[in-house]
Amino acid sequence: MKHQNKFSQNEEHSHEQQSHAQPAKEFANSDELLRYDAGQTTVPPEIAQRLQESVGDLPGPKQNWLKRLFGGTKP
Amino acid sequence: MNEPVAEQGVEDRAPAEWSSSELGALYDEHSRAIYYLALRFLGDPQKAEDATHDVFLKAFRRLDQFRGDASVRTWLYRITINHCQNLCQSWHNRHVQANSDDAIWDSAPAKTDSPLRVLETKELGQRIQKTLDALSDEYRLLLLLVADEELSYEEIAELVGQTTDAVRGKLHRARKTFAAYFEKTN
Repeated sequence: MKHQNKFSQNEEHSHEQQSHAQPAKEFANSDELLRYDAGQTTVPPEIAQRLQESVGDLPGPKQNWLKRLFGGTKP
Repeated sequence: MNEPVAEQGVEDRAPAEWSSSELGALYDEHSRAIYYLALRFLGDPQKAEDATHDVFLKAFRRLDQFRGDASVRTWLYRITINHCQNLCQSWHNRHVQANSDDAIWDSAPAKTDSPLRVLETKELGQRIQKTLDALSDEYRLLLLLVADEELSYEEIAELVGQTTDAVRGKLHRARKTFAAYFEKTN
């Protein structure tokens, strides 16, 4: 880890007026906030499937990794 | 008798020499970072999906061009940045950026030194996107890159073509601007 800012988040109990709200989170700066956001982001599996189709014209063993990765889920 | 040779790490060899499983690992290891950068830079999940697909396809086609003088992550980021900036350039030529909520940015400046407090995480992604969209491309890119703990300031400076000192200075201003705008999205 090269940056001095370690990811940390402080959870606080919800405000009295928001009894159904999720716990509040505090982020020291935008770095922490974006890091948290990135951690919540899921890569759509469609990308890998499309890559599998697109990579067909690449030579040699480069085609095989996608087949291995996705276990032949595509015809 | 040959002496045992220490096994080379995957990044010690040119990607053109990588095995199929190593290429799979490459995608596994970096796809989230590349997708996230594309998502938040472009602000559109479908465009980010297309961009991520295109970036990895370009990378696989250019494996022979990777010289190993940068990390693989940095190399992929470079392709991603060029790709996204080209997309943005063509959009900006066609559209005038119009933010229907411009009024919220015009009010008094918010505090920028206090922590960013989030009461409701459900719509956090939308707030972040709205804030990033209000920033310049340069600030947006710097903030997204520095959020990746695998990148050093030197690598970020190289990616954006500036000195490390310039990056540090701009990041300081970018963080303050982000904080001010983010507070106003609440």
